[in-house]
Amino acid sequence: MSVDIYKINPEFRDIMPKDILDLEDNATWGAEKRGISDLTDKKELLEEHSLCAGCPEAAALRYILTAIPKPEDTIIVNSTGCTSLMFPHIALHTVHSLFGNQNAVASGIKRALTWRFPDKDKDVVVLAGDGATVDIGLDYTLQSFFRQEKITTICFDNEVYANTGGQESGSTPKGQVFKMAPKGKVFDKVPMWELAVTSGCQYSVKLTASAPKAVARVVREAIFIARELGPTYIHLYTPCILEIGLSASEGLWEMKEQDKDRFVSFKYVSPEAEEFLKQCKKEGRL
Amino acid sequence: MANLGPAYYAPYPVATYDGLLTPPEGKAMLLTDIVDEEVAMREVARVMLTSDNATIFPGPQVLYAWSEEAKKKATLIKEMSEVLNAKMIPMYDYRPKYPKIDPEVEINPNHPNLTIWHNNIKAAIFIGVHCHYANVALKIVRSETDCYTIGMCALSGHEDAMATIRDQHAEDLARFIEIAKEVKQELGK
Amino acid sequence: MSIKNMTKEKNWSGQKLVSTDYMLFEAPREKHFMTGSEVTKEAIKRCTVDASVSYPITPQSEAAHLIGELWAEGYVGMYFRGENEFGVMSEVAGCAMAGARTVTTTSGPGTLRAMENFPMWSGTRIPVQLILMARGINSPLTIQPDNLEVTFMLETGCMIWYAENVQELFDMTIAGFTVAEMPDVHVPIVTVVDGFFVSHTRESVMLPPDDIALMPYDPYKAPLPPIDSEMPPGRFLRDPFVMKSNYISYATHASWQWEVRSAVDRSIPYARHYLNGLAHVTGDLDAEIVFVACGTASHQAKEANRELTKLGIKSKVVKLRTIRPFPHAELLEATKSAKHIFVPEFNIVGWLEKEVTQSLYGKSEAKIIGRPRVAGGMSMPVEAILHEVLEHVNEEKGA
Repeated sequence: MSVDIYKINPEFRDIMPKDILDLEDNATWGAEKRGISDLTDKKELLEEHSLCAGCPEAAALRYILTAIPKPEDTIIVNSTGCTSLMFPHIALHTVHSLFGNQNAVASGIKRALTWRFPDKDKDVVVLAGDGATVDIGLDYTLQSFFRQEKITTICFDNEVYANTGGQESGSTPKGQVFKMAPKGKVFDKVPMWELAVTSGCQYSVKLTASAPKAVARVVREAIFIARELGPTYIHLYTPCILEIGLSASEGLWEMKEQDKDRFVSFKYVSPEAEEFLKQCKKEGRL
Repeated sequence: MANLGPAYYAPYPVATYDGLLTPPEGKAMLLTDIVDEEVAMREVARVMLTSDNATIFPGPQVLYAWSEEAKKKATLIKEMSEVLNAKMIPMYDYRPKYPKIDPEVEINPNHPNLTIWHNNIKAAIFIGVHCHYANVALKIVRSETDCYTIGMCALSGHEDAMATIRDQHAEDLARFIEIAKEVKQELGK
Repeated sequence: MSIKNMTKEKNWSGQKLVSTDYMLFEAPREKHFMTGSEVTKEAIKRCTVDASVSYPITPQSEAAHLIGELWAEGYVGMYFRGENEFGVMSEVAGCAMAGARTVTTTSGPGTLRAMENFPMWSGTRIPVQLILMARGINSPLTIQPDNLEVTFMLETGCMIWYAENVQELFDMTIAGFTVAEMPDVHVPIVTVVDGFFVSHTRESVMLPPDDIALMPYDPYKAPLPPIDSEMPPGRFLRDPFVMKSNYISYATHASWQWEVRSAVDRSIPYARHYLNGLAHVTGDLDAEIVFVACGTASHQAKEANRELTKLGIKSKVVKLRTIRPFPHAELLEATKSAKHIFVPEFNIVGWLEKEVTQSLYGKSEAKIIGRPRVAGGMSMPVEAILHEVLEHVNEEKGA
């Protein structure tokens, strides 16, 4: 039934706006292979948002939405922060509950859907900022990993509480001056991607959103592994250009710089997941 | 009693604070009165046929072809709009829309009054809107406009509408259309 | 065990599906002897429950264990232990948003730790049942019975019912799912009992057979689409930042909050039916001395009523069974004859006395006396109630 929820009754096609008609006619649903190349000519699942011009987070979310393998059966759980300004506009079933409880809510949703739809893959993806993932929600993030919840967690790390006006977060690099750290941050950036490994994730990757195809590949792998094996984690650098004094056109440059520095590539794949990915490649799913 | 007309800018008082609850099974409600369903259907048809810019607001449960019932209802609602000489403006989703809605062609539960003001709608049927969003919208409309709202509900009805008919499934809509045709003839519309 | 085993006649564990009316009012009952924790298991067993998440805290732990056993026995669809009560209440929210009939339990400090979740629950219109076995809250630490925590729950937008004893806990738990899941209600139900006094006390209880169970929950009759990608609109955020709506968006938030309160009010006719009334009155109907109480305090008030009768003093007890919605009409009717209204409570703040006073303000000339109040695990001996009554009555007589 899932794709049917986007199909418009013919009696109403003449009163529906083009945006909604396009979702039925021109978005990529079903089992067909989806990906970054869809960005050029397919209807996207997110087109409007109220983030700042040039915000890399908005671009990263577009890459993610084009990469999720089965959007019509994907639930995204969000948390409070800049990302939640985009969420009402994502053309999927999504949840914003409280600040920090995203992995707990996602655990409940995933388990309930597994119980209710035993013959159907329903993917649950958490998408939250660094404040939500690393600070206020750290317990719930890690506990969902310990429990081996079959969900994918994506952290949009902009290294700052941006939506509340630029305060230091656990993800802020040491020494950085932000609000609430007027003398500079006194402790190191929390290595969340490493915590994910020691906490039981089957797959943990750190990267920036500088290369759309790399983001898409990681997202797809992470969701497939979560579906079959257990928790997966993606730590994605999406700088807050506003808070670090860059212009709208400089986000990509900043990410490329950090590809060589704090966000130098990190990838952990459990031996079981490695085997599974090989099998996926063989089957043409990746 | 349920107020028809502007109650300043806050959605207060809401109907439950006037002691109104959804009508019991088998009954409908017109303003504060519990009435037989057919009485309500006649009155609703009369109001729609005699009010300026009468409009039907179909919601997601009938706009999309997600069930057999939804498909049947779509055909009936289209027919209903013709019988009632009513325009249709969809409430196709519930998001607070960015940057803003176009009140000419859409209605949004977060600020339904914009569409009603813009189109000077004096009577409207909400149908196929999930109950929570229907109620959020109806409270706002009730307090900020003079639109006569009608909640045609597949479940328990809506006390914040001026008229509410509950448990409306496809066969009930068909019956309503027949009644509306009679009323139309009586009114010579 | 799989949901695929469910048919139109039977649930996944093979229990015959019956209506709530049959379960509560018609099915034959047999006498058992059990604690509140044990009867919680018996109630949940008969409710075709999809999901439960637990966390240990005295005195609700045993009830939570027993729900776990139901999962192991194949009656409850899914179950696990969460990381803490904030997490548990969020996990439960996820289950319910995804269309599962969901139950959890907590007590005192757990309730307060989880607090941010409760208005979120009601705001997102999930019919979760929380069985609250009240105990004291820190500081200082106590595990003893005390129902102060209920005052924190009053304005969360959840329904709150209060059971006096093991029997009521059983019946209310079953009625709770049914009323909470009504499409025009569809808000959480908090079923409260006094910890230890009910959770750990073994009493006689009449139970229907355990081969019958409630009809399953239908999430597609909910006032919001379930989060399962099976119901339109496909673009749906539960729940949005409404302040990001343009133009007069404050009205949305205000209307939303009014709607949650309206939903609680809409439960009144259903609760009257399934609970046999929102308030129960015992004693001399024309008495001038009236006790208004809930939970085990009402049991003690009934004892006091018996003692006062022996002394030739008329009194009656109004036991409030629902706190949200507050039974204003029932309370007013039941206190018409009152000159002295005593509100005995198991907490120091007197939240029920405040509720009663507010409800009767301008409508009753009775003197409202918020006594006796005991707390921190003290019991409420009948003598304490009698002492208050006799003191006030004698004072008025100038004795």
